[in-house]
Amino acid sequence: MGKRGRKQVGLAFIAPFASLFLLVYVVPIGYAAYLSLFRQRLIGGNTFIGVDNYRKLVQDPQFWDGVSRVFRFTLIQVPIMLVLAMVLALALDSRRLHGTGFARVSIFLPYAVPAVVSTLMWGFLLGVKYGLFGSLDTAAGTGLDPFTPHTTLISIGVMVTWAFTGFNMLIFYAVLKAVPHDLYEAAALDGASELQVVRRIKLPALRGSLIIVIIFSIIGTFQMFNEPQILPSMVANSGITTYYTPNLYAYHLAFTGSQQGYAASLALVMAAITIVVAYAVQIRGLRNAFDH
Amino acid sequence: MRLHKHAALLSAALASVLALAACTGGSGATADSGDKQVNLTVWSWDGTVAKSVAGFQAANPNITVKVVNAGSSFDEYTALDNAIQAGSGVPDLAMFEYFAVPYFAIPGKLQDLQKYGAGDLKKDYVQAAWNDVTVNGKVYALPSDYGPSAMFYNDATLKKAGLNAPPATWDEYYEDAQKIHALGANYYIAQDTGDLFFLLSLIWQAGGRPFKVSGTKVHIDFTDPATTKAVAFWQKMLDGGLLNTKVTAWSDDWNRTLNDGTLASQIMGGWLTSTLPERAPQAAGQFRVALMPQWKAGDKVGAENGGSSFGIPAAAKHKDAAYKFLEYFTHGGGVAPRVDAGAFVPNTSVLNGADAQNKANQYFGGQKVGAVLAEASTSVASGWQYPPFFEWARSIYGDIASKYYTTGKIPLAQILEEWRQRMVKYGNDQGFQVD
Repeated sequence: MGKRGRKQVGLAFIAPFASLFLLVYVVPIGYAAYLSLFRQRLIGGNTFIGVDNYRKLVQDPQFWDGVSRVFRFTLIQVPIMLVLAMVLALALDSRRLHGTGFARVSIFLPYAVPAVVSTLMWGFLLGVKYGLFGSLDTAAGTGLDPFTPHTTLISIGVMVTWAFTGFNMLIFYAVLKAVPHDLYEAAALDGASELQVVRRIKLPALRGSLIIVIIFSIIGTFQMFNEPQILPSMVANSGITTYYTPNLYAYHLAFTGSQQGYAASLALVMAAITIVVAYAVQIRGLRNAFDH
Repeated sequence: MRLHKHAALLSAALASVLALAACTGGSGATADSGDKQVNLTVWSWDGTVAKSVAGFQAANPNITVKVVNAGSSFDEYTALDNAIQAGSGVPDLAMFEYFAVPYFAIPGKLQDLQKYGAGDLKKDYVQAAWNDVTVNGKVYALPSDYGPSAMFYNDATLKKAGLNAPPATWDEYYEDAQKIHALGANYYIAQDTGDLFFLLSLIWQAGGRPFKVSGTKVHIDFTDPATTKAVAFWQKMLDGGLLNTKVTAWSDDWNRTLNDGTLASQIMGGWLTSTLPERAPQAAGQFRVALMPQWKAGDKVGAENGGSSFGIPAAAKHKDAAYKFLEYFTHGGGVAPRVDAGAFVPNTSVLNGADAQNKANQYFGGQKVGAVLAEASTSVASGWQYPPFFEWARSIYGDIASKYYTTGKIPLAQILEEWRQRMVKYGNDQGFQVD
């Protein structure tokens, strides 16, 4: 009796969270799954078509074009960004720099700039004709263009790295701060060099957070939307198509193509892909952690 | 009014939030109290519509009009589609660019206005504008603003190139383009980074009618002689390197080329008149307006580039009152205050009126711009049709066109063919019969 009563009290405590979670998370996903079984047509209206949307999706070259693009982007951009973030965190933690407080805030600041604003800003900076990049380019006579179909993705990589390095750095930095000081003292007594301290104490301490940060980054890049949505209105023929990233494609399908069902099936498949990739990273990361 | 659309695109994420907000806001406004007091909700991103509300309400004390901005262009169409689907929050009047009228009219989402007597108003509008609001012989909207294609040219740059008059024919245009480009590597007669509406206006003027719509049947063909002629001409301009393909319209770069005179001309809708002074203040007094160059010397054939109208959704609650207001601000006493506020309307009485004909525009060096645009409006060739899925079609045009403008490998004709194929596939998927 007493045990049961305690259980019900527990339920009451999680109820606020559970009801919100259900309302804004589970119900929309369920609704998307429901929608994905229908086809909307301008003539003929809504019809139930079972899993046809999914069948169509796996054969849609535009969808796979977007998926392969975010994969390539993730493979290159995420390691660069994380190495940068880690180096910065180690530098801040080394206690050999002046003004670390200011540096920490200013590296983090780009994360607080809304992506719409930062894309506009970078669009101006990288503008071929009159932007800062354009002026440098003209002065050097190199003839580089950051927004051709071959270079746009690199430019987006620069923007994303700029925006998120600080956030990741802060996570790493917080972990480093939590390392007990006696470890360093012991290392110093044993005559370990600064590099050895980094290799033997700091990097192993970062391993757990690294997995979290990689997963966050994968989810973030798989959902890329703002940059390719805004850039085409600023630069001509950047090679950004309406299916440049899966998210952008879903948006176009739903809002200009009025194919909400198809867009919903795309969103669910993309979510599944993201979960699989994130899960693979996690399992692999944990196994490594046990090995050591 | 594509300029608004571009502003909206810049903050698309924001705008869709706004559209949602407006959508929920609109649902409360259609309440009918039953004592003949009617509250009308109007969705408009044309700011001048609100100017005619006071006069209308004074004449119709039982009707209250609320003008809401539910987003521009396709943000509004999305909000409207959602409202219609949800069955609540549908406005009594909504704004549509001309190309969007068939999208709503053909699936039965718009009210045929002939039963309210809209058919009698035909003679009071420019013929092509009337054609824009007519689908399968029924009238689904009334024209509210117009975008006759016109040539905005920098007279100072032309003079520098030894040209005393703007090109009257496309042959002259080609020759002038070479003379202007000879002024310097940055000098061009025009920019083009894949402007679909410009290309269509070129085809339109040449007499091509690539879209033929009848009921739910759509026939698309970019190979008729007139279309081919127009496309081949623009191909020649591109191949000759006579166009600035680096600077895209509405960008910061574009503003600069307009200011410093390196962009000698821009063929666009007449609505550019209102935004050009803000974009190119340093070029004040240098720009002039002329009709589009002609395919045959001595002709006066124009085309359209933009423009909008208002229609009554089939699901609207107060259709009688809605039509009353619609007639008032697009045809009746409400037109004058809107024109004063800067609206450019296709009403023949306004176009031929003394104000439009005689007013000198200081930004354009004292030219009587209104008279030129009135002539451009009345000379627009009629008979053009947009497919009902044009909003989607135009959004994917860039996917295909950007290949040309970055590599130069694919000719325009092939771009249009690929575009046609994707439209055929999409259109049939959507339940139309497209070939």
